[in-house]
Order: sequence, then structure tokens, then C-alpha cells
Amino acid sequence: MGDQKKLLIIDDDAEILAALDNYLRKKNYNVAIAANGLDGLKLLELEPNGFDLIITDLVMPSISGVAIISIAKKKFPKIPIIAITGWGEHPEALAAEADADLVMEKPFELSVLESKITEILSGKK
Amino acid sequence: MHNFETPLIGVSQTIIKTRELIAHVANTGLNIVITGESGVGKEVVAQNLYYSSSRNGKPFVKVNCAALPDGLLESELFGYERGAFTGADKKRRGKFELANGGVLFLDEIGDMSILLQAKLLHVLQSGEFAPLGSETDRQTDTWVIAATNRSLNQEIKNGTFRKDLYYRLNTINIHLSPLRTRREDIPFLIEFFVDAYNERFKLNPPYKADRETIEKLVAHHWPGNVRELQNILQRVMVMGDFDAICKEFEDEPEPDPEASQQVNSEKPSSEPAASGKPDLASFSLKKIKKKAADKAEKEAITYVLAETNWNRSKASKILKISYKTLLYKISELEIKP
Repeated sequence: MGDQKKLLIIDDDAEILAALDNYLRKKNYNVAIAANGLDGLKLLELEPNGFDLIITDLVMPSISGVAIISIAKKKFPKIPIIAITGWGEHPEALAAEADADLVMEKPFELSVLESKITEILSGKK
Repeated sequence: MHNFETPLIGVSQTIIKTRELIAHVANTGLNIVITGESGVGKEVVAQNLYYSSSRNGKPFVKVNCAALPDGLLESELFGYERGAFTGADKKRRGKFELANGGVLFLDEIGDMSILLQAKLLHVLQSGEFAPLGSETDRQTDTWVIAATNRSLNQEIKNGTFRKDLYYRLNTINIHLSPLRTRREDIPFLIEFFVDAYNERFKLNPPYKADRETIEKLVAHHWPGNVRELQNILQRVMVMGDFDAICKEFEDEPEPDPEASQQVNSEKPSSEPAASGKPDLASFSLKKIKKKAADKAEKEAITYVLAETNWNRSKASKILKISYKTLLYKISELEIKP
């Protein structure tokens, strides 16, 4: 259990949040979830030992994923971030604003996401 | 008029959430768009962001993008060099320069022209701007907070707002809901403004709102939101004409779609009981009173408007109602020249 990686997932779409949570838990990750940007920020600030990776949706009301990434990168520059965007959300304009390590466009295969997570985490260690 | 250091007042979810948001994002320096109807308190939110940030004490500069024509707004924002255009006999610093290190509050951003939007985007992306007639760019460290009562998403669809500027600005969005959807805030707002105006107008004895007044104010639907509440309280406290205000309230229909439909469907038969026999099913003293009052008001307003040659400002003074109320009555009662 000690080697479990801690992920923070932020998405205002409850279904996607549940699906990612379910899948990544099964893959033996320690997952924290937030259904909006503000809750995500709070979790980020409260987690004593920090997260190993953040996955965030880009388009969310009030605090957008772009803001989350910018704030997280300033406070915790070492935590890698994967941004996900929905279709029809002008990913090109958004991705340009987001300083994420990786931008993934929905829909994607969960297995592809997981292999990206493994790749990023192994690269960091 | 500035209400500097006005706190965000209220106990509603909207206000609680907004306070929490401000506390979390005030020090990020990220661009923010504040949305909400006119008079809802967008500038107060901008000021609270500024006070909660490390830029407190630096300049807070406000520009109303709807108040100036395009060319003027451009020189207002970026300034100009001497000789930049005919009449520019002195160099003038723009708001971006004046707000350096502090906050530039762009009110009514939805009214900015597409051309200026492109220039604003350039400044936000590069952190540099050039005054008109200048060949060199200047660095600026300005926190841009924008506000609008329009739907920027709709403006993007209409082609009147740049998508890339939207994404750059709308990193954080703070939406203030209309006052009528958070009536629980009204008693707290009343208390705050009554205290403030007692002090400002040196009222002796100080005014105190009684329960009936507060109840009536809480029940009103406040199309002009907090600003309207402020105006009404000033009127009540200085001129003491609360009864007249209550009448105005009664005459304004609720914006509720069902209610307005009813009003519309009643329009064709505006003469009470024209057939001679009132329909008992829809018999209501209140309705009859309203119809009779409407008729009398229409006659009076039509007469005064004719006498003043449709000078509505003069007419409103003669009728002793506000200009806004008069405009509203003209349209509601379908008065035509």
C-alpha cells in the first residue's frame, strides 16, 4: 500500500468522474476526486504529502481547469498534470491557455489514459 | 460614486461561495470575469478581490468599456505620445500604465469592439503594450479583472466577442445571481446601507427600518438589484416617501413568465366589464382597482406628455415619479404620441 500513487481528479461531469475514479482505483491508485475547481483546490492545499499527479477537466464553471493548472504549477511545480477536454470545447484555444504536461481530448480509452499516467509517473521518478 | 471597501454582504449560498472563491483566487493574479445582471455588485466583487490580494494598496483603476467610443477607449487604455494624432499636444498615460502593479477593472467588457479586443488580447498574452504613436512596447504588470452583464458565450456565437480573448480572460468566472433569487440577503443589505446612509446624511434621529418596511422590501423583485435597493433606501431615508415607493412596486408586474403572460392575455379586454355583466369567475376587486388605476394613470400621463411635448424628463418631474418609472409606464400602458 505504501507505494500507492496519489491522484487528484477534478471534473464537473459526475459520470466521467465516477468512471475515472472506479477504473483508477482498480488499477491500485489512491484516488481523490473533486466535482468542481474550488473543491479541487481545497484538496490540493489540504493533502499533506502532496499528490503524485493531477487530472483535470479544462472547462468547468467558476474555477476552470486552466486556473487549476496555473495555480497548481505555481504552488507545486513538480506535480505533473494531465488536462482533459470535452468535444466541441475548442480544445485548440483552451490547450493553448493550459500549461499542462499532457492534453487529452475526450473521448479516450481509459487504458490509454492509464498508460499515459504510468509513463509520466515513471519519467518523473 | 465609489463604495470603496464595501464588503460582500449576505448569507445566501451565492455570497458565501463568492467569498470563498475570492479568498482562494485573490492571490493567483489570474484573469477573472465577473458576470451578473446590472446592479448586482460586480464591482464590489472586483474590489474585494483587490483588497484580499497582495496588490492591495497599489492602484485600482476602473474603465467602463461601454462609456467611450472606440478610438477614445483605445487611448484611454493605452495612452498616447505627443503628436500621435492631431490635438495630442501632450503625452498621456493610459490606464494600463496607471494600473501597473495593481488592478485594471474593465467594466462592460462585452461592449468592447472586436478590434480593441485583439489589442487587449495581445497585452494579456505578452504583458506588453504600446501607447498610440509610440514605437516601443512597455512592460505592464497589471491584474485584469473584467465584468459584464452580457452572456459572452452568446456574444461569441454572434461573432461580437473573440473566443481566444474569452478563454484568456475567463480563467476564473465569478457569477453573482440576481437579488430576487437570494432574498435572504436583503435584510442584511438593508441594515448595512441604513447604517451607512444614517452616517452619510447625518440623520437625526437615525432612520430605522420597521418590520413592515423590511418585509415589503424583501418581497420586491428588484429588477435593478442591489443598486436599486440602495436608491430606494436613500429615497426612503431622505425623502420619506415609502408609501409612494410601495405604490410603484405594486404597479410593476413580477417578471415571472406566468404572471407576465397573464398580464398580456388581459390586455385586449382592458375595459372593465365591457359587456355590462362582470364575469364572476374572474371577478376580483384587486384586478378592477388595477384596471381603473391604469386607466386613470394612462390619461394623466398622456395629458402631461402632450403638454410637455413628450419631454419625458420634464413630464416625470411634473408627475413626481422617477424617469425610469415613467418610461416603464409609457411602455406598460402602451402610451403613444
